[in-house]
Amino acid sequence: MDFAFSGDQQLLKNAARAFLDERCTSAVVRGLWDDPRGESEAMWKDMAQLGWLGLSLPEAYGGSGLGMVETAILLDEMGRAAYPGPYLPTVLAAHAVDSAGTTEQKNRWLPAIATGGARATTAFVDADLAWDPQSTATRAEKVGAGWRLSGAKQFVAWAHVADVLLVPARTPDGVTLFLVEPAAAGLTMKPVTAIDMGTRWAALTLDGVTVGADAILGAPGNGERLVWELLRRAAVAAAAEMLGAARRCLDMSVGYAKVREQFGQPIGSFQAIRHKCAEMLLSVENSHAAVYYAAWALDAKAEDAALAASVAKSYVSEAARHVCGEAIQVHGGIGFTWEYDLHLYMKRAKALEPMYGDADWHREQILRLVTE
Amino acid sequence: MDLRYSPDDLAFRDATRRWFEANVPTTELKTLGERREWHRTLFDGGYVGMGWPREYGGQDARALRQAIVADEMARVNAPPTINGLGIGIVGPTIIHHGTEAQKQRYLKKILAADELWCQLYSEPNAGSDLASLRTRAEDKGDHFEVNGQKIWTSYGAISDWGLLLARTDTSVAKHRGISCFLINIHQPGVDVRPLKQVTGNQEFCEVFMTGARVEKSDLVGRLGQGWEIAQTTLSYERGGNSLARVTRYTSAFHELVKATRALRRAGRPLIDDPLVRAKLGRIYAELEVQRYAALRVLSALDKGEGPGAASSITKLSYSEFEKRYFELALEILGPYGQVTAGLPEQLSTRVSASSGHGETWAYAYLWSRAGTIYSGSSEIQKNVIGERVLGLPKETRADRVK
Repeated sequence: MDFAFSGDQQLLKNAARAFLDERCTSAVVRGLWDDPRGESEAMWKDMAQLGWLGLSLPEAYGGSGLGMVETAILLDEMGRAAYPGPYLPTVLAAHAVDSAGTTEQKNRWLPAIATGGARATTAFVDADLAWDPQSTATRAEKVGAGWRLSGAKQFVAWAHVADVLLVPARTPDGVTLFLVEPAAAGLTMKPVTAIDMGTRWAALTLDGVTVGADAILGAPGNGERLVWELLRRAAVAAAAEMLGAARRCLDMSVGYAKVREQFGQPIGSFQAIRHKCAEMLLSVENSHAAVYYAAWALDAKAEDAALAASVAKSYVSEAARHVCGEAIQVHGGIGFTWEYDLHLYMKRAKALEPMYGDADWHREQILRLVTE
Repeated sequence: MDLRYSPDDLAFRDATRRWFEANVPTTELKTLGERREWHRTLFDGGYVGMGWPREYGGQDARALRQAIVADEMARVNAPPTINGLGIGIVGPTIIHHGTEAQKQRYLKKILAADELWCQLYSEPNAGSDLASLRTRAEDKGDHFEVNGQKIWTSYGAISDWGLLLARTDTSVAKHRGISCFLINIHQPGVDVRPLKQVTGNQEFCEVFMTGARVEKSDLVGRLGQGWEIAQTTLSYERGGNSLARVTRYTSAFHELVKATRALRRAGRPLIDDPLVRAKLGRIYAELEVQRYAALRVLSALDKGEGPGAASSITKLSYSEFEKRYFELALEILGPYGQVTAGLPEQLSTRVSASSGHGETWAYAYLWSRAGTIYSGSSEIQKNVIGERVLGLPKETRADRVK
């Protein structure tokens, strides 16, 4: 039994840290916040070159065949950098195509994603923001050989740059996943601006969007199972990114507490500050254990993988919010300014907190798993 | 990262499970004699002092093997060994710092529980600031004479011997004037008085020493080395029990769920109340995080990586969690959670607290207040984390300003 990263995993982590430190500085992040597109094509291509986009895809489709632990390592580092871009939704959608797609669908999307030529996203929630797939309200009617989708999807991350969107919709057979391309007639997107400008959301309206029979991922009616599986991965992925943001806030706080002087001493020598930092570290280390345990459990198909994913998302959502908030408190006034970088990480953690099920929702899933 | 147990460790776990299922006492151990007998059964089974070196009767067992045994004991709610401090702290201290004569004289009897041990560290005026302790040990030529008072002595009432910290030099800085001794409790100069706690039980004692005698040969290490020795013994206290602790919490959780099914309010079982469900979900998530964190620490220990100051994170984490845990449990149970006798039958009265004793919810709740005080309060742990893990500057301390 070994909880530590393997040599290769540590190398991946080091490489990610080095790349993002150089290429995704806070100045770059701030530039992208002001950019209408919000992400960098050059960075995306370089990430493809590094093998990050196909990290967990099979080698046959240009991937590296690695798992959720490695994906979490990258997302952890991305959270640390407040990286703006569609990495999480793209690898999530790619995983869905890989696990349920036809050979044609895989050939169409996976090599393109792995080489940086395509981006993807998932449109899980309708207007009521219910993450349980059985609550899906968007409908798909059979029209000839194809399907017609009608409904509204909220908070779809990076929809405006996506080449394909994964849309759950209700059919007579049950919830079904559709691959929808953004140019489809009847699909409109309205950008949603929120506090984290490094996360771009859109509201989607599907007004009789017509797709072919080949747009179904898996079989009609198996969407619920697929969405549950995706939500578990998404929960762990989001937790990993929140963990990185929280650790960055902790590191900045500790660094600041060592040099900022008041009353003639570094503020870190005061127990009021030192104890706060110790509590922040406790939250961060527990979050690390939760994220990587859950990532490993998904890779190992462990019995408790679903439980661990919900544990990670519920715990880290609150822990990261707490740590990032306390970081501002440790910094005092400077931490509340736009110029200081803390808010980049704090807002990233906050943006992910309600996504793929918030803490309360995941705690309900936990209780179901443990008592039913 | 690979969190699977190796086939060898799985086989060991299965064998351990079978052994405990076959040997665990079926009735509560009431007398000292019964508890001693259970200790010897454990000893004969090879489950006592596993981490000790082979040459002193141990097995050089890896941290994981020790954790597996503790975990299997928790699973069947087995009574703890009777000489926990002797096995966990005194023995390792003698092994690391003792003379050959001390090793020959004491170690075997510790393992077999022929002699039971306690730790004589805290004093009424030396709690978090342990190094300010005032108990004196004076060199009387052929022996040391000890005068002073100790408090919070676990197992004091049943102990034969104590591991003692006492001041031998008042002319040097307080940390440097302390020495470590082995003291016989059974002598006229030592008076042990039980101390009743908020639980109503007597888990601790006060120990008064008046002209008590310690043999010259029972000094551990050098004169003035006591503080350094105490620092190493404190680090023995953490790690190996972490999985077992979570297993106890988990079994208590399932008892709690059972209770929420049995209790009804406004015509429906408590477990169908969304507010109760939210609380239960929160407890279980935190409990699982404790388990993952325990596995992480255990995997490092198993590779021989000492946790060092990071063990303070573990201690802070579980002890603070335990308070929140039983607070939430008692919120859910309402006044039933406070009942010490006369609970309705469908509510469990055997909740496994971290003390290792099966008791009531009320007891577990009250006992949870101990964890954030004993062996370094939460505030001390946060100081250690801040200074030694995060490298924050030390505070200006009045006792260090010259």
